[in-house]
Amino acid sequence: MNILIVEDESRIAKRIERMTRDIFGDTLQSLKHINTLHEALRFIESNSLDLVLLDLNLNGDNGFDLLTTAVSKSFHTIVISAYRDQAITAFEYGVLDFVPKPFNRERLEQALHRTIANEKIETNEIKFLAIKKRHRIQLIPIEDLLYIKGAGPYTELFLADGKKELHDKSLEKLEQLLSNTFERIHKSYLVKMSEIKKIIVESGSKYMTELKNGERIPIGRTKYKDIKAKWL
Amino acid sequence: MNLKSLRYFLLVCTMLHVTSCSQSPVFKAHETVFQVGDQQEWAAKDLNDQYWEKRKALVPDGQVFWSRTKIDILKTPESLHPYGIQLHVYGEYEVFWDGVLVGKNGNPGQEAILDPEGKMWATFIIPTHLTEAGEHLLALRSSLYYFPSHTGIEELQIDYYDALLTDRLIESSYMHLFAGAFLIASFYFLFLFLSNKKEYATLIFSISCFLFFTLILAEFIKAYIPIHYSMHVVRLQIIGVLMLGISFLIPFYFSMQFPFPKRKLLLTIYAVVLLFFFLSRYVFELKANNMTLSMWLFSFGIVVFGVYKRMKGARLVLLTLLLSVPIGFVTPFNKSLFAGFSLILLGMFYLLSLRIKEQRLAYENSLVQSTRLRLELLKKNIQPHFLMNTLTSLIDWVEESPKKGVLFIEALAKEFDLFNQIENQTLIPISQEIMLCRTHLEIMEYRKEINYSWQEENIDFEQNIPPGILHTLLENGMTHSLPLEDNSIKFKLIFESNNDYKCYTFLTFAAVVKRATNNREEGTGLKYIKARLTESYHSKWEFTSEPTSQGWKNTIKIYF
Repeated sequence: MNILIVEDESRIAKRIERMTRDIFGDTLQSLKHINTLHEALRFIESNSLDLVLLDLNLNGDNGFDLLTTAVSKSFHTIVISAYRDQAITAFEYGVLDFVPKPFNRERLEQALHRTIANEKIETNEIKFLAIKKRHRIQLIPIEDLLYIKGAGPYTELFLADGKKELHDKSLEKLEQLLSNTFERIHKSYLVKMSEIKKIIVESGSKYMTELKNGERIPIGRTKYKDIKAKWL
Repeated sequence: MNLKSLRYFLLVCTMLHVTSCSQSPVFKAHETVFQVGDQQEWAAKDLNDQYWEKRKALVPDGQVFWSRTKIDILKTPESLHPYGIQLHVYGEYEVFWDGVLVGKNGNPGQEAILDPEGKMWATFIIPTHLTEAGEHLLALRSSLYYFPSHTGIEELQIDYYDALLTDRLIESSYMHLFAGAFLIASFYFLFLFLSNKKEYATLIFSISCFLFFTLILAEFIKAYIPIHYSMHVVRLQIIGVLMLGISFLIPFYFSMQFPFPKRKLLLTIYAVVLLFFFLSRYVFELKANNMTLSMWLFSFGIVVFGVYKRMKGARLVLLTLLLSVPIGFVTPFNKSLFAGFSLILLGMFYLLSLRIKEQRLAYENSLVQSTRLRLELLKKNIQPHFLMNTLTSLIDWVEESPKKGVLFIEALAKEFDLFNQIENQTLIPISQEIMLCRTHLEIMEYRKEINYSWQEENIDFEQNIPPGILHTLLENGMTHSLPLEDNSIKFKLIFESNNDYKCYTFLTFAAVVKRATNNREEGTGLKYIKARLTESYHSKWEFTSEPTSQGWKNTIKIYF
């Protein structure tokens, strides 16, 4: 695990650091603490990370710039903030969890546990996926998204208008964030359930779904029963 | 309400004026001819006067002279209702109608010996048998001891005797009612001014109303107070002075309501123009006309400027100014003067009511603003960024080092206590504000683990300051800076004062945070400071905030 803590309150940063070390134990490879937005952005661009713990209000700056950058990356983001009213927005942008201050060890552990256990989040708040496009962050509304295909460490987002976009997050991580409306019907596909028109059984027990736009996507042999039950 | 009723009243008055002038006359006067000398036969109806002079410029030394005017009576009066003749004539004279002496106004020819007698406006009854439809003759035997150049009949009116007497009284009673309204307005606005001596507009309006009241009185006093022709000039001079005053004050008032560039210069030029007209040797009517016209033109210019600049109320005032023009053309001079003036005064009245409303709103706003500032001060300690971060740090201190945690809680309690003390005040002693800053630094040291230090220079502990403004600067200083290499941030407060102002300089010695974006809006903190300064010092303050090579510098200048 490579973790970055972005927090401008030294005492709180130390608290997070101490607890994180404690929780992850030996699995922690590196832990870095940064207290300015500017530096944090630079660090994110040039280092490979697994998790960012982010305070949204740094030195009077609005941390949402950093948030949109962070959520477009391959790693998960957990927001730790004093402003509880920012929780909804943070979830809309696709953070894994929102830990309100003041927090105790249990609450932080619960959040960190999600990253380790690949735990799916139950809230239905996520509204956008942020993607990086020509050095700018673009927000893609979830409602425009039909299905996602895994492509190695990246994923391809297939949109309603026929376009295809690349996302830095893995299929597993996106599955975690989108579990409420999307299903993993195949080891390489994550599909919005409401887009499935029918399920087709082809010869040789090949299972396919047909989407409302006519596209066909294979269903994993092991997943068929599950998917059918959920779809019906 | 007042405004509406006044306007309605004005409308009634103008209508009365117009209708009273529009009745068809019962007579037609021909040209008057003159002859110096004194012969009783000159009163005769059928005298041949074709060689008499059409114009007589001067009759010196109070000599007796005669004037004859042919008059056509167009309508025989009803029986038992005699006609009367009303004369506005300079001099003392005897009145002959068709050769018959019908009245006497003073002692012609004996003015030098006897005391002045008679009046400028006199009404005489004409025997009924002499007023049948047809040609008649009015002859005056006069002398002009005091104003030998004022020969001739200024005004002549023939109507039923009763009507001549009562119409004038009715007219002047209405005008006096009207004047009363302006007198009351004048008092009302005077009292308003006395209760708030900064509002010069109300004073000017009050004076204008009072001048207008006296102007009406001076104009209509002739209906019931006999004025000898030698004294008439005094009345005219009084009216002239009043008009000079009004003609200056009205544009002056507009210039206060619709300020324009080079105001003083233009007003001075205007005053000179008015004085020139006032001191000129023109006849009275022309003098008055010139002053009124220049008043109107200058006011019009100012109000048009106001409309152009979209100032409040300018349009309606422009309308009243424009309305006064047709009234000026339709009605005779003395009536148009009053109708026009009163319309303009109503416009001024309207403006004043607008300003009073604005002031009330501004006052209400200031109350709301003060409450808002108070809340903002209170909020400083419960806003999530401060409270939740403090609590998180506090939990950590309590868990890790309970003794330090207790000290932290004590510092926090102290800051809360200080906030409670200053919460509902607009100015607090500087020592209290400094104490607040020091306590805040203590708390922040526990949170940020940075060595904060505080220095003061030349502080005058007698001084007061709006609560929370240095505290806000301190907060800003902490949020927007990073510690120096030795993990310290230093704050310094310097006080200076001289005869013109006192000045607080608040310095932060730290490394400035590099911003991800440069365009930062003015934070709520700075807005709070500016609002607090305005609340206590109105516009007499200056606030600057700028980066320096060592950190940040804020200055607050308060002018005396």
